[in-house]
Amino acid sequence: MSAGALPRPTRAYGPGLDPEPPVLRDIGSDEAITDELLGKVLHPPKWLKWALLVTAGGTGLLLLAVAYTLVTGIGVWGNDIPIAWAFAITNFVWWIGIGHAGTFISAFLLLLEQKWRTSINRFAEAMTLFAVVQAGLFPLLHMGRPWFFYWLVPYPSTMGVWPQFRSALTWDVVAVATYLLVSILFWYLGLVPDLAAMRDRAPERWRRRVYAVFALGWYGSARNWSRWRIGYGLLGGLAAPLVVSVHSIVSSDFAIALVPGWHSTIFPPYFVAGAIFSGFAMVVTLLVPARHVYGLQHVVTERHLDNIGKMLLATGWMVLWSYVVEIWSAWYSGDTFEQYVYLVARPFGPYGFLFWTVLACNCLAPQALWWRRVRRSPLVLWFIAGAIQVGMWTERFFLIVTSQSRGFLPSSWNLYRPSIVDVSLLLGTLAFFCFLFLLFLRFVPFVAISELKALRHELAEEKRHG
Amino acid sequence: MGETIFVAEFDSPATILAAAERVRELGFGELDAVTPFPIAALERPLRVGRSRLRWAVLLVGLGAAALAFWILHWTNAVDYPLNVGGRPLDSYPTDVPIVFESAVLGAASAAFAGVLLGARLPRLHHPLFELEGFERTTVDRFWLLVANVTDATDAASEEERGALRAELERMGARSVRTASRQEVRP
Repeated sequence: MSAGALPRPTRAYGPGLDPEPPVLRDIGSDEAITDELLGKVLHPPKWLKWALLVTAGGTGLLLLAVAYTLVTGIGVWGNDIPIAWAFAITNFVWWIGIGHAGTFISAFLLLLEQKWRTSINRFAEAMTLFAVVQAGLFPLLHMGRPWFFYWLVPYPSTMGVWPQFRSALTWDVVAVATYLLVSILFWYLGLVPDLAAMRDRAPERWRRRVYAVFALGWYGSARNWSRWRIGYGLLGGLAAPLVVSVHSIVSSDFAIALVPGWHSTIFPPYFVAGAIFSGFAMVVTLLVPARHVYGLQHVVTERHLDNIGKMLLATGWMVLWSYVVEIWSAWYSGDTFEQYVYLVARPFGPYGFLFWTVLACNCLAPQALWWRRVRRSPLVLWFIAGAIQVGMWTERFFLIVTSQSRGFLPSSWNLYRPSIVDVSLLLGTLAFFCFLFLLFLRFVPFVAISELKALRHELAEEKRHG
Repeated sequence: MGETIFVAEFDSPATILAAAERVRELGFGELDAVTPFPIAALERPLRVGRSRLRWAVLLVGLGAAALAFWILHWTNAVDYPLNVGGRPLDSYPTDVPIVFESAVLGAASAAFAGVLLGARLPRLHHPLFELEGFERTTVDRFWLLVANVTDATDAASEEERGALRAELERMGARSVRTASRQEVRP
């Protein structure tokens, strides 16, 4: 399209006439912003020590529950036939879904050159890493004998047996391992220049030494930056399809089974939309308090909150649409079992209250985000995100459990009740996740400083020419 | 006496860019810069060549995919064929997820390794770190490195050096100093 074909600039459209709040607000000189953001890591707030202690206690609960499960066997969980997959798989699907928003922000928004990505990508990527760590724990424990996990890896064993790669469970292993490793590489490559700044700026010698090791000797020459830009872009491009593929593969665990309520081709896109939805909710849950406590209002502005709110609304509608399609397909299929699970067992069965909770949390609550004032109000946004977190966890749970509890044979119908160990594992991973995230806030420059400075100059340049 | 490298310090991307273009016009062949963040526009005056990283990433990714496909096929269809309800042993649709994920993992590892190895990293130390004020180049200072390739003992080159220094200062350099090649690049 030639420049002549573009609409003429008006009051509503045109360079320098962006009606939205700015992406960055008076962040000062390069030196000021570097010192400010590094200072938040060098001089942590006092409460951080206590928060670390509390979450470490919660992590202790997790270790205790894991140890008890390993020593006694997974009979201590509430799972029983016919409900063999319950809390563990729910938690796995939920946690890994949360990671997706981090990758979406860091990869998709990088490729789309979205300026609001810069302030929050490091946060979101860290969230992804820690969520995937929690997720990986559950399939391992669910195996019952996790010390044999390497049987899923194709190594030449004396048993002469190979893993069965036509099973979706082996796909999961590769998908989750790839996701974790690629997320680490992407996160670390972006982090190296900021670790170098930390190396050059930290006041104490020991700190400079430690950061120097992690900065890998980065010295920012033009040739290094050129290669860095290419490599970072490539990693973004490679991570972008993972946003779609990982949860599609996870959904295949269900979709390729014949269980009523699982055997559906809508599952991959439905799971991916739900993953990004719950992930953005987790971004809000972590970002809003961190923004407030660390005083990041000039770096993470209402623009960011507003955009995240819009993402929540859009993915929320995709999820709602998936619910509708799913239920409609079940009705239209004419299959008695599908119809029973979707139209009777889920909304009106023994787990019926969960169905209505999901609708309230995932479909009703996000509608408040149609209002700009809601999207830009941190507190209200935070509460809506909390509702979505609850809703998405509940959705995974009821999707997994109702189908198994109301299968083909009414004589094998049964109900699932979580044991105290199940609940401890869920709460334990929440604490462990927060613990890792607080460690990240304590030791790592949590806003991408070098990228932020580049953005500052880019915006200044735009303003000058605008 | 070794070759002389001019180290000119600037305080904004715009000034270092203008200076790099000017020095390039004057005919100095060997330029480099040290900056706190990537400045894409600098790559043209500094003659940063096209990196082969993209091709390396593509090749490693395809290689990883091929390897994964071979492992899936050989283990499940050749070495240990297991008949599950008469389903095909070399079932290509079920190979797609693992082959794809392996390609991504291989390519991503190559991209990461390529950026580091291309920069001869990781390393614990670099001679540049010794130069005074280097620590500001990760914060808000932009260094332009210009190699003066003529012999330092030559009287004519003395004049040329003076001219280069004056030009760099005219272009807004905060300071201009010299270092030997060993001090800048090992």
